[in-house]
Amino acid sequence: MLYIDNLHLKIRDLEIMIEKLQINRGEYAILLGPSGVGKTMLLNAIAGFVRPIRGRIIIDDEDVTFKPPEKRGVCIVPQNFALFPHMSVYDNIAFCLKLRKMSKEEIEKRVLDISKLLEIEHLLNRRPHTLSAGEAQRVALARAIVAEPRLLLLDEPLSNLDPERKLRAMELIRRVVRERRLTVLHVTHDVSEAFALGDVVFYMRDGRIVFRGSVSDFARSSIARPYMELVERVVARCETERSVRSL
Amino acid sequence: MSSKILQVEKSLILFYGVFSLIVILILVPLASLFLFFRYDVLVKIFHTPILVSELRSAFITTFEASLLSTLILIIVGVPAGYVLARGDFKLKPIVEAIIDMPFVVPHPVVGVMLLTAFGSRGLIPVGIEDTFWGVVSVMLFVSAPLMIDTVKIGFLSIDVSLEQVARCLGASFWKTFTNILLPLCGRSILAGAILSLARALSEVGALLVLAYFPKTVNILILEWLDTLGLPYAIAVSCIYLIVIFIMFVALRIVTRSYAIY
Repeated sequence: MLYIDNLHLKIRDLEIMIEKLQINRGEYAILLGPSGVGKTMLLNAIAGFVRPIRGRIIIDDEDVTFKPPEKRGVCIVPQNFALFPHMSVYDNIAFCLKLRKMSKEEIEKRVLDISKLLEIEHLLNRRPHTLSAGEAQRVALARAIVAEPRLLLLDEPLSNLDPERKLRAMELIRRVVRERRLTVLHVTHDVSEAFALGDVVFYMRDGRIVFRGSVSDFARSSIARPYMELVERVVARCETERSVRSL
Repeated sequence: MSSKILQVEKSLILFYGVFSLIVILILVPLASLFLFFRYDVLVKIFHTPILVSELRSAFITTFEASLLSTLILIIVGVPAGYVLARGDFKLKPIVEAIIDMPFVVPHPVVGVMLLTAFGSRGLIPVGIEDTFWGVVSVMLFVSAPLMIDTVKIGFLSIDVSLEQVARCLGASFWKTFTNILLPLCGRSILAGAILSLARALSEVGALLVLAYFPKTVNILILEWLDTLGLPYAIAVSCIYLIVIFIMFVALRIVTRSYAIY
């Protein structure tokens, strides 16, 4: 569970004030908002890379506000996936397991398990620069999930994918997150990702959370209205075209 | 479309022309030095024990001091380069300007500066004039910006998100530094070391002021030019150039084979 209480962040001109943000265990939360409102900065604060001016970040009843990143139990998948370029896919995924000094057999078992789940067994000997964006994204996810984080942070993980791959990736993420019962905070500016993946939605504007609620509440909100209207228009147009064709 | 391609090729011809000119500019003095080289002078040097001993000790001093200064610079330059690449502090532009100072300070002034700082009657009276450590300190001083700036550029080219991901995955700062940053910056560190070594090997101005003794090869060349004449200076220069050339070709091969990914 993630609980943020009265968090104040400031880097140069960008200021964020989060009065309250709560994500329950096993929940998939979407943090929506236009570019440049501080979504990534909030993610960085949760991961431990930005020191808050005040406030508390609590993960599973433990105050981690001033703990170093490696002691928070939080894993991040950045927009560019950040695969270690000097390591093979296998070594990328095994990185955290080696740090935990697990036995070779145990590491191999866990890497193979997660690779099967994310359909990347055939990539294990490859180097990151030889992977497509979709493959790199799955490897980055595998590397984060194998660490069994208390909270998984996804920073626009689908923005580098073409529409077809994006749909497939969304399905895969949904399945893997449910299977592993992960708590996820997914940052995006794409409303469709919120509808496809989210249990709860937070909408951020001018450094503040201006909406919090379920996906269905969000769909009915004024923020999502332009998007919903667009979808309705497209559906109406398709139906009109279909009826014209059937005449 | 085809005329555009032709234009590109024409520009390339111009580029190759300019490139050849620069290569010729470097090659002409090099070739002339070897053209004026006299084998009988070399034989004379190797048949005069005192000259052989001077030559040997100059080579030993030069390579010992330059390799030591490069080693010290690797140890100091890597953390310094990291701080300059990743650090965000108010005085950073001033610190960067200070580090680049040895680039612009005239070489004899470097000697005078080090003399006033670390000479027997200097600010910190260590007495480094005319000692091996005087030679090392001169080489360190003039090579430092090359090492630090090259390493800094190396660290800057590594995406910060790699560090962040490694930390999230459970790596401490040191584990991240040794497992992620150092291997990715290895090429820049090697390049910085080669440049620093080259700079150290070519230094003479500051050495004339601070540490004439123990003589380095450069000082010996100047001395033999004055006392024994040009043919002797040419002979030492040729030997020095050949040794340096072999050394740098070997280092370049090592650097090139250090393929990270």
